[in-house]
Amino acid sequence: MSTQDKVKINKLPTGVPGLDEIVGGGLPEFSFNIIAGAPGSGKTTLAHQFVFANATPERPALYFTVLGESAVKMLRYQQQYTFFNPAMLPGSIRFINLSQVVLEKDLGAVLEQITKEVEKANPAVVVVDSFRTMVRKPESDMDLQSFIQRLALFLASWQATTFLIGEYAEDELRDNPIFTVADGLLWLRQTAERNSIVRKLQIIKLRGQDSVPGLHTFRITDAGVQAFSRTFGLTARKRNPPSDRRLSFGIAELDKMLGGGVREGDSALIAGPSGTGKSVLATQFIAEGIRQGEPGIVAVFEERPQAYAERAASLGLDLETPQKDGKLTILYLRPLDLSVDETMHSILDAVQKIGAKRLVIDSLAGFEMALAPGFRADFRESLYRMIFALTGIGVTILSTVEVDESFTEFPFSTYSISFLTDDIIRLRYVSIDGQLRKIMVVIKMRGGNHAKDIREYEITSEGVVILGKRLANYQGLISGIPVHSDRPDQTEEPSLDTGIEHTT
Amino acid sequence: MTAAPGMRDLVHRLLVYEAGAAKASEPLESPTLRVYEKLRQSLGEFVGVAGFYSLASRALALAKPEAPSLNTTVVSGDGALQGLGEIQTQIDMNKDPAGEGGIILIACLLGLLRIFLGEALTLSLLRNAWPGEVFDDRNSVHGRNA
Repeated sequence: MSTQDKVKINKLPTGVPGLDEIVGGGLPEFSFNIIAGAPGSGKTTLAHQFVFANATPERPALYFTVLGESAVKMLRYQQQYTFFNPAMLPGSIRFINLSQVVLEKDLGAVLEQITKEVEKANPAVVVVDSFRTMVRKPESDMDLQSFIQRLALFLASWQATTFLIGEYAEDELRDNPIFTVADGLLWLRQTAERNSIVRKLQIIKLRGQDSVPGLHTFRITDAGVQAFSRTFGLTARKRNPPSDRRLSFGIAELDKMLGGGVREGDSALIAGPSGTGKSVLATQFIAEGIRQGEPGIVAVFEERPQAYAERAASLGLDLETPQKDGKLTILYLRPLDLSVDETMHSILDAVQKIGAKRLVIDSLAGFEMALAPGFRADFRESLYRMIFALTGIGVTILSTVEVDESFTEFPFSTYSISFLTDDIIRLRYVSIDGQLRKIMVVIKMRGGNHAKDIREYEITSEGVVILGKRLANYQGLISGIPVHSDRPDQTEEPSLDTGIEHTT
Repeated sequence: MTAAPGMRDLVHRLLVYEAGAAKASEPLESPTLRVYEKLRQSLGEFVGVAGFYSLASRALALAKPEAPSLNTTVVSGDGALQGLGEIQTQIDMNKDPAGEGGIILIACLLGLLRIFLGEALTLSLLRNAWPGEVFDDRNSVHGRNA
């Protein structure tokens, strides 16, 4: 069958930010859906958002309430959400209570009542909340199966998009006939992880279109449910082709060590112990970008934006003006129960808002601490998705990570995430001539040449300053306790020819 | 809780409308009962029979101290009022032309809705039962110019 012969299934907006992306562009019109989950997981709120997004006076929504939460209390609470528009009741959204017929009669009478209301109102959307309480006493499984099938058939025939809301347990998935009949099955989960609540949703089933698989974080705020796709809403975005352009740190010697700078679209990592100047380098990187007309984002977790800007000012770097000019956003993300997806959402919003080309994450340790404990286990995997998504749209990421200094090892990062980065700059302390000095070395650059020199540097009032010569007359520098060798100091500046290796 | 003046004003307007509407169809039925029954029907669909009964019985309890004439009135299980009709027919219309007890009861019922749902949603629900001209800004449930 050719494409033009196929029926086009309209996709209805869910009214839930982020959810349309997850369900493949919207929920199929006339579909018969289940919203399942534990009490308090946001089922009713999600249904309300769909209803308010789609109901019209011509094609209203019928919201059948059954037992459980009364309609008065439900609306008392739901109207606190910003999406709630009281003017839509009852013209576009009608609440109908079915408690009486459910309590006093059988499923046949319930179906008859729903049929009567649907035929009268010609609704575009029908919600039954909670369906679980409606079918709590079927005379037999056959009654239940027959009821569900007749209900689904009737509502689809009347061109209604339907949501049945229920408090189901996951072990019911196999045996409950409702899950067989349903076109879509949205499962909302809520778990306590130490002191944080972690909410995730899953599209277990969705007929007729692709949805994004897996568990997606969601949050309930005064705007209602907000979902955060695992793909960060970038599935429709085409990945930028690799670029050969190099982004400068504004530190000439470091740029030389990097073969001209960080390649555009790379994920670079600065690793080193506390006090070695990771944040200073990151600040210089972002400031140089702004100087060259490349807007930037700094995501900070360990200090507030004002303090970050003040520290930059002490290095002669003005981060206040570009913030006022919309060229720089300093995001402070530290509510301690974030998911990576939410953090990403904030970062992406900022990236898109100012057209950022450079992103600094300072630091990964702070980032991890800002996450709810339940998300920390997935930190590396989440970081991978985040970096892949951002670099794919051409953003160059510079992350900092603190590593424990050891005089026996030379780890690149505490998180074993070096595989996630294209470029690694390693900073460390060394003991030389009775002084604790600082050295840096470029460990890897995935996309090109870099120097293999070990260079000494200092942090001055002008930021990181790389001292003139590579330390040729010491052995074992990376151990932190080098031994002076008899070789004379190299007197020439390191050149790309002598100090370059090619890694891929 | 006493019935707010603004709420009573709104109830008066509903009664006036129903009094006019009743002339043609059911002249013997009191406007108060007509308003109450309309509320029972429209709100009953929304909150269910049991839900309406709960609200109405609470409203009656709130109204009785203010209107002793309601002491013999009860809300039946289906939400209907028993006893109000008799009161209404016994009222000396010269002394109590508006049937004050019934007004207070309905005002208390609408006051409860406003407490639970807020003014905007309460008015939206009422607009479903009565035509728009009964409601305008001057008839805010907060009262005129309140």
